[in-house]
Amino acid sequence: MHHPQALFAHTRALELRIDELLDMVAEGGIQFERGMVLLLERGQTPEAEEKLQQLIQLKERCNQLRRRVVDTLYSEMLIPEFRGDVLRLLSHLYGLLDALKNAYQDCLIAYAGVLNRRESLADVQDLVAVVVQSVQAAVQGARAFFRNPEAVRDHINQIRIHEAEADGITVRLKTGLFASARPLEQKLLGRDALALIDGLADLAEEISDELSILAIKRAL
Amino acid sequence: MLATGLLFLSSGLFLGWSLGANDAANVFGSAVGSRMLRFSTAALLCSVFVILGAVSAGAGASAGLGQLGAVNALAGSFTTALAAALTVAGMTRAGLPVSSTQAVVGAIVGWNWFSGAATDLSQLSRIVATWVLCPLLAGLAAAGLHLAGACLLQRSRLHLLRLDAVLRLGLILAGVFGSYSLGANNIGNVMGVFVPAAPFPAVSLPGGLLLSGMQQLFLLGGLAIAIGVCTQSRPVMLTVGHSLMPLSPFGALVVVLAQGLVLFLFSSEGLADALAGLGLPPIPLVPVSSSQALIGAVVGVALRQGRRGLRQVRWGMLARIASGWLSTPLLAAVLGYVLLFVVQNVFGQVVVALPG
Repeated sequence: MHHPQALFAHTRALELRIDELLDMVAEGGIQFERGMVLLLERGQTPEAEEKLQQLIQLKERCNQLRRRVVDTLYSEMLIPEFRGDVLRLLSHLYGLLDALKNAYQDCLIAYAGVLNRRESLADVQDLVAVVVQSVQAAVQGARAFFRNPEAVRDHINQIRIHEAEADGITVRLKTGLFASARPLEQKLLGRDALALIDGLADLAEEISDELSILAIKRAL
Repeated sequence: MLATGLLFLSSGLFLGWSLGANDAANVFGSAVGSRMLRFSTAALLCSVFVILGAVSAGAGASAGLGQLGAVNALAGSFTTALAAALTVAGMTRAGLPVSSTQAVVGAIVGWNWFSGAATDLSQLSRIVATWVLCPLLAGLAAAGLHLAGACLLQRSRLHLLRLDAVLRLGLILAGVFGSYSLGANNIGNVMGVFVPAAPFPAVSLPGGLLLSGMQQLFLLGGLAIAIGVCTQSRPVMLTVGHSLMPLSPFGALVVVLAQGLVLFLFSSEGLADALAGLGLPPIPLVPVSSSQALIGAVVGVALRQGRRGLRQVRWGMLARIASGWLSTPLLAAVLGYVLLFVVQNVFGQVVVALPG
């Protein structure tokens, strides 16, 4: 006689892997924020470069985990109707972690000098914090989709508020940047850096749009 | 003698094959249509449990049909089943929803009419009442199961993957139960008319098991259904899932379970006795239409989903089914009368055994 836990042992293992994948994306958000704080406050220090290494390793581990989850989902799990939805969602979440790593890498290599100007430092830190909040809300929304679909709506709302807030800060920063007396190449570089960071919140919002559809489809 | 017996059984076996080809989709269609379960697995499970249901629990519904009219000559049984089979085939070809139960009832009334035997009107009215009661009960059962199941699942907060695994397992178990109930209930349609003139003597099996003539008939009928399932039900299973309205996997599970429960209710002698013991009105044990139970269950699920669900139901289909409640038995009765006349007077076969 199978114990119910044994009956669903495969499922339980896959659930843990998906949880682990979501933890990694959430950790990526934290590492990105910590790295940006270091970068903005202290410049290109070894600690800031170490954060990049941590993000690269995290992304690689997440990619390996994602591939294992995809293989298991395709080979033995899920009602086909759900399978494509889940794979797409996980793929977008991994894409978000990848974007966090890329954004941090570019900030470290190319944009550190234009972002940490004293007059705009507080606003850039604010932008990073809001963007990371949108990323964390996307992870929480995805977690809710798996365990408690009714709560997805709350997280979607949070993502949208953070994204709108990030847009507002970006516009303010860009206006200030182009009104300043900085050389044009710095203005253009600064604009690109802000667009890169703000783009992370846009990615989180894309996940929120997907989650809202998935939550309706999951309704019993 | 055996060859003649089998030849006369052929019309019933054809009915069984046709039932397997079409009605197995009602129990495993959702699982196979959504590719959750391989067709080969579904066909095997369905065949085994249809045969088990037919042999072990087919007597109740079959006897209910027998009370309407005991076709007492093998050639008469053959012709009666042929009339029902031709009615089903003709109406299916014309694209009309048809129930083999109603065709068989009509054909038996046709035999009574031809032989001059009185039709038990109270039994007829009980059977006709089940045609309305069956989809109604299936709808109520589906709405109740949907409500209870949705509350339970929402409260349990299962992970999507766990929910998926539970639904997958549930669909297989519900399909197995539905197959058993289908065999127990619908074997009466396939072999019921042959029971009074059963050509097989009882056989002892190793282990002290005794297989009565009726059980051998039901085994043959069950095998015919199983052959129908294995040879012809695949395309029906692949299309049935969304024919009436789109269903979620949970909705599909509820529909299959409700349908199985209703078929079981109209077949189980034990359940009928238990209900009678509780002072509840007796459930008539007669074959009912699994397709109409399925449609009732789908409407029950739609009712639970409110206006959105009701908009998705093809109501025209229900009206056509209701019209079939009259046209199917009438057509089968007239066809049965004509065929009995032809078989008796053209082929010189005894279609009615005289008393004594």
